[in-house]
Amino acid sequence: MGLQDTLKTLVHKSHLSDVSRHLKHRIEQGLEQRVKLAVTGLSRSGKTVFISALARHLQQSDQGLSLPFFSAAADGRIIGTRDCSHESAIPFPLQTTLAGLQASPPHWPASTDQLSEVKLALRYRRSPGLGRMLGEHTTLYLDLIDYPGEWLLDLPMLEWSFATWCRQQQALFFASPRLEASREWLTCQQQLDWLAPADDTQFQQLAHTFRDLLQQLREPPYCLSLLQPGRLLMPGDLSDSPLLNLFPILTDLPANPDQAAPDSLYSRLKSTYYAYREHAVRPFYEDHFRHFDRQIVLVDCLKTLNRGEACFTDMQQALNTLLHSFHYGHNSLLRRLVRPRISRVLFAATKADHVTANQHHNLDRFLQLLVESAQREIRFEQVETHCLAIASLRATSAAQAKLDGQYLSCLRGHRKDNGEEMALFPGEVPVELPRAEDWNSERFRFVDFAPRPLPVGPLRPEHHIRLDQALEYLLGDLLQ
Amino acid sequence: MNPTPDWKRPVELSPDALTDPDNSDSKPQISPVSAPREIPPALAQDTNDNPPDEVPVRAPARKRSRRWLWGALGVLASTAIGTEVYRLISWSNDIHPLLGAGFAALTFILTCALGIEVHRGLRGNRQLKQVHALQQQAQTLLTQSSHGNSTRLTRQLGRQYHGTVLQRELQSALQQLDSSYNDQEIVQYLDRHALSQADTAARRCVQRYSIESGVLVAFSPWASFDMLLVAWRNLRMLREVAAIYGIASGPLTQGRLLKQVLQNLAFAGASELSLEAGSALLGSSLTASLSARAGQGLGAGLFTARTGLAAIRLCRPLPAQHKESALPRKIAKSIVQQLTARQNDTL
Repeated sequence: MGLQDTLKTLVHKSHLSDVSRHLKHRIEQGLEQRVKLAVTGLSRSGKTVFISALARHLQQSDQGLSLPFFSAAADGRIIGTRDCSHESAIPFPLQTTLAGLQASPPHWPASTDQLSEVKLALRYRRSPGLGRMLGEHTTLYLDLIDYPGEWLLDLPMLEWSFATWCRQQQALFFASPRLEASREWLTCQQQLDWLAPADDTQFQQLAHTFRDLLQQLREPPYCLSLLQPGRLLMPGDLSDSPLLNLFPILTDLPANPDQAAPDSLYSRLKSTYYAYREHAVRPFYEDHFRHFDRQIVLVDCLKTLNRGEACFTDMQQALNTLLHSFHYGHNSLLRRLVRPRISRVLFAATKADHVTANQHHNLDRFLQLLVESAQREIRFEQVETHCLAIASLRATSAAQAKLDGQYLSCLRGHRKDNGEEMALFPGEVPVELPRAEDWNSERFRFVDFAPRPLPVGPLRPEHHIRLDQALEYLLGDLLQ
Repeated sequence: MNPTPDWKRPVELSPDALTDPDNSDSKPQISPVSAPREIPPALAQDTNDNPPDEVPVRAPARKRSRRWLWGALGVLASTAIGTEVYRLISWSNDIHPLLGAGFAALTFILTCALGIEVHRGLRGNRQLKQVHALQQQAQTLLTQSSHGNSTRLTRQLGRQYHGTVLQRELQSALQQLDSSYNDQEIVQYLDRHALSQADTAARRCVQRYSIESGVLVAFSPWASFDMLLVAWRNLRMLREVAAIYGIASGPLTQGRLLKQVLQNLAFAGASELSLEAGSALLGSSLTASLSARAGQGLGAGLFTARTGLAAIRLCRPLPAQHKESALPRKIAKSIVQQLTARQNDTL
């Protein structure tokens, strides 16, 4: 008896039980019975709401009511959905998030500060045809992860050395608007001797200053996206860890780094950088960000329109940088088993409910403008991409008002900050990049709306915008 | 600041000033981009990009002499029939007034029936024309991602199918249309959800008639009888398909539909021909053991299926998005199955 227990603990310790589970998952993924969907997006782009809305709609998809463009659900081929998130060590708090959205008054979920997993099992009937030979009923497992968007921008650091990273950051910080915001920090850095020994308090103080600077750049009026290292903004389980005492050298790098004392700022930063990369970024990447099959990139276009050109270019650069961390391409059967690549990408402009319906097409085109170069890169790998304006959870309803004898389409909803009801014509979404002089504060007024309460009972198509088309594009071919 | 900005300012309104867009169907809907006061240049670009709303349809030029010929022939025939009927009635009246009254009543009933039939036929013809117009409108909308141009289509659909078999499903689909859908999505939604019952019924009808005519031809004892059999089953099928899609069907409508179907089949594209060849190939591998008569039956069945599918395409108010490729194959398979079963029985 004792031997058996010892063996059991040994197996548990050596992660052997994990191996069989991993193997099973990999085989299922190879046979297209398990699909890992990458929900990619910078912070506050709506990942958590997207995942909860998706899970909720899929849970009700056997009723075939709320997703009219998702053909498996609309044809009534989905038999049932099971939430298997409890199998994961870090389950996604679906019930809590949904409860918040169903409460009265409802509220958006708080920013995600931890990684969590959603696992859904969809039991469906195959569509009539040759596939039926394999059996009429089958199951598709859908894996999603939710994580703080800030962490995503750390992924490119895996391929950069400390010197490269510093050079990248120099290029960023010596351009507007970072230059104006960080003047003090730059002068402070110029006075430092990188190679001289430095004590802990000075080092920590510098790190804190840099962290405050990043916080400041993230908030209005700057609203920048490309902020590294991301854990400084959202430490997760690393709060108070020495790994977070990290900042780039923005002056010229020391010419003779070999002479640096082991406790000099330069050596400390360099070793912290590599430690950060190995202990914070790599596990996140290896455990969760490889082996994706499909990807949806959520982009908050309205934020860039509200904030201006600097925010636009910064977000564009951030998206381009982070999409380099993913592998795109077609999958052969062997490839799928060994190392799958992303074979389909959807760029989605979230918060489509914050503009009037006649502007959705413009929002599509504006998104295309924002992700143009990223899309070109991906298309080069012969991977399908598509742009779509979506709203995972609709916060407004369409209305019209008579103004100066004309009917004006507008939105009706509740303000996010004070909960007051308001009606708004938020302006037109441009299809080209507005000129600098057009980009003034009067042109757009995209207000953040509070969510409308999500019903506890059956959902209807009016609770989302094009979530079903997004699903059809991403998963439709797997549910044949 | 620029005195005339080329964009429209955001406006905040009091929530009380709002009207619900769903309840204001009768009011003219003016979207902000088409407001008469300020026209942004972006609009001009958009209209250039998109094809004009209505594709001019050239009516087939009918020769004037032909119309005179038919007119004269019609007048002559009706006069001759009228005179003959009058002579018949007066002759029978001479024999006995009761006989005369009987013949007169018969003539009256016949005229009434004929009048109703003609009326129904004309209505059916008008409906077929309307369906064609609707299809073209929907086809144009499918290429656009504009917003608000489909109101005309949805209103026409609601009005034209009021009181027909399609009304219930169509109305519920029209009510469920989401305010965020653009024109293309509205057409796609209706194509998927407004006609599904009718589509299933029509497809089942075509399948049934095709199998029937296939089996009938395969087992008919006289070869000369086959043509008649196929024609009879086909006409019946056309009438049923038209009725399923809410089109008043009489002989006149049937005739017009048949003409269009035959035109359609005659000018069938290469894709359809290849499809046919594929089904034939499948058939040949399965029917290698069957007799020549069975082969003829299979051919007749496939012909009926094609006629039926063409009729569905003509009667459906919205253009079918996904091509029906599985049905002919399915029909061919079930005909062969039926034939082999019967042959095994007789052997």
